Amino acid sequence: MNRQNDDIFNMILASTVHDMKNSLSMLGESLNIILSSVEFKKLSPQATTHTGVVQYESARVNNSLMQLLALYKLENEQLPFNPNYMNLGDFLEEQRLRQLPLLEAKRIQCEIDVDDELEGVFDECLLSTVLENIIGNAIRYSRSKILIECIQSDTTVITVNDDGPGYPEIMIEMAGSYMQGINHSTGSTGLGLFFAQKIADIHSHKGKQGSIKLSNGGKLGGGVFEICIP
Amino acid sequence: MIKYSEKKALIIEDFAEFARAVGTMLRNMGLIHVDTVTSGEAAIQACREKKYDLILSDYNLGTQKDGQQVLEELIEFDLLIPECTFIMITAEKTAAMVMAALEFQPDSYLTKPFNSQLLKSRVDKSIAKKQAMSPAQRLMKKSKWNEAYVQCEAVKQSHPKYSSACLRLQFECLKNAKLYDKALQLLADVIYERATPWALKGMGSVYVKQQDYDRALDIFEQMISEFPMALDGYDWLAKVQHQLGRPVDAQRTLEKAVEKSPKLLKRQKYLGQLAEQNNDLDTTIAAYRQAVKFGIHSAFSTPDEYVKLTKSLGRKLQGNTNEDRKKLITEAEGVFLQIESKFKEDSCTQFRGAVAHADFCSIVLDNKASDRHLKNANKIFDKIEEHLTAENSLEIAESLKTLGLSQLSECVLEDAVEQYFDDANFIKKASKLTTNKDLIKNASKANKYNNEAVRLFKQNKYNEAIRYFDKAAEIAPNNVNIRLNQAQSMLKQYQSVEKKTELLTKSESMLRAITRLSITDPRYARFSELNRLTQLMLQKLH
Repeated sequence: MNRQNDDIFNMILASTVHDMKNSLSMLGESLNIILSSVEFKKLSPQATTHTGVVQYESARVNNSLMQLLALYKLENEQLPFNPNYMNLGDFLEEQRLRQLPLLEAKRIQCEIDVDDELEGVFDECLLSTVLENIIGNAIRYSRSKILIECIQSDTTVITVNDDGPGYPEIMIEMAGSYMQGINHSTGSTGLGLFFAQKIADIHSHKGKQGSIKLSNGGKLGGGVFEICIP
Repeated sequence: MIKYSEKKALIIEDFAEFARAVGTMLRNMGLIHVDTVTSGEAAIQACREKKYDLILSDYNLGTQKDGQQVLEELIEFDLLIPECTFIMITAEKTAAMVMAALEFQPDSYLTKPFNSQLLKSRVDKSIAKKQAMSPAQRLMKKSKWNEAYVQCEAVKQSHPKYSSACLRLQFECLKNAKLYDKALQLLADVIYERATPWALKGMGSVYVKQQDYDRALDIFEQMISEFPMALDGYDWLAKVQHQLGRPVDAQRTLEKAVEKSPKLLKRQKYLGQLAEQNNDLDTTIAAYRQAVKFGIHSAFSTPDEYVKLTKSLGRKLQGNTNEDRKKLITEAEGVFLQIESKFKEDSCTQFRGAVAHADFCSIVLDNKASDRHLKNANKIFDKIEEHLTAENSLEIAESLKTLGLSQLSECVLEDAVEQYFDDANFIKKASKLTTNKDLIKNASKANKYNNEAVRLFKQNKYNEAIRYFDKAAEIAPNNVNIRLNQAQSMLKQYQSVEKKTELLTKSESMLRAITRLSITDPRYARFSELNRLTQLMLQKLH
């Protein structure tokens, strides 16, 4: 693409995303207003499931939009990367709050285990897009519980555990080449993991690079996602 | 606990449905006083009328000013109380980071969509942080660097969470107090842990202050290679390269930044200036074009980029008979119209615009129109109320000379030489333009007297200084600096040597004679401070 087309595409992309996100915000907010006007317990199980679906799917569309836009910018060397010191407790708590309506709708308990004083250096916006997707997935597959942990030695490691059936073996083995994981029939998380890998990659410090890892088991016996930020 | 019922909030959002939703969230948090505006202009007006504790602004406000411009103006015009928390709402996370590189930063960014729990958590945290940091910031506003530094140290102890914010403020304190070695030590410690854009930028900026440009160059080169999206690194690097006599490198550096984010007025203007110096006409035009475009809704746009755009378009049209000729002429005429309407009240700019317009018409061989604009310029010249700047005087005098109006050209130069005889660079250029050799000779004489007077002033020999300032003033009676120097010497003499009332009344009349000083003139601050001191001392007499 030449420069001018590139600029136009950029502009259209940005303004379309802006528009779509406004719509998504309205959608979500309207649903919240409806939900707050009825007593939650009085909703039929079916209705609860449906509101959950609306919340989950609109959050997913939003998150995918963000990832696409960020990947497009990364390809064109226009992705702003602004790592900063950040309190990890505050950061993870916000990730939980972002998902709160969905967690409540699906009655999933989400626990955070992190030392109060812990600080990490990372790009807040990018990492939050990564975790939104990963936690969203965990909500989708877990039965009743999610545990987000964070420990720090010379690197910061954030782990998302769930009590669902775990990641398929084939995905765990795909480490490093998650783009192949995109599977239309299952709506698999190829994009999310691919994005997580890319974002981990650009976080580097003193010769070390960030990384992600999938496994099964962990503290809740389900899927375990781990992202390391040096 | 934060008492939200006592807080005043403002929502700036052009999308009414969304504004309503955010308003509901805030009311559910306990806020009673929530105002909503739909444009940046209305937001500025609202902040003139009321002091808000919390402002939530969408970044994208349609076609008018954006959220970043609103924030810049609110800070620049001092419309925010130090405790005010400003949260920028963005649709895409990545835009936030480009903005984060700018001089003026909001307290927090929030990405759409968000729910009420997230909003509350963010607002709670931002307000708590603001409350912890604002005492130090108030001290910094009063230039009490040492006290502010100590205050930050206390916050570090009581709120370890805000340590890195405190370190940043402490660095600013040390730098402003000119304790450069300590400032560098602080940053070296930070960078030893981990290099961050702000620490590298701080270090480079201290080296620039110390005029150690080679070291500054290394630091800024490291900064843009490690953090290619921290765009102010490019601005600084370009400045240093320019300083080291490498304007072509400086231009290349800025081009990289502009490619990533074209929207910064200051950056575009600097690029235009560099490209002009490098005789790169197409880049000059493009940069000034962008500066005009992005300045439309900005309070920081100046006539400069408009006039410079027409000048560079004129240069492009010189000897050009085919390609895009009509289009370029139409564009330039459009810019002249904008100068006429946007800066209607500013006679200096109208004069400068009329001369530039005449110059432009003569380049495109429309002599009738050129004459018309010159007549207009002549008329405006008599009405000019303020001093033209040195640079604008040269630009105008040169055009007038080329257009054959050497008499008016000399008038402009005479006024400017009288004002800026102490600016060696200006005098060098002016002497090439003028045919009046006495003008330059007198300038150097006035400069000699003025320098001698300043030397005596520094030795506390105020009366002798005044005598020499008088001599300089005889040659340049309208020179603002001499008047200010005279007034200051009289005040000093009064304060430290002899309490003669006559000195104060003389100082008062000296200052009263300064009538053509624009508020935007760099000398204005000193003028108003001397005025204040004189009046203060006069009042004490009664």
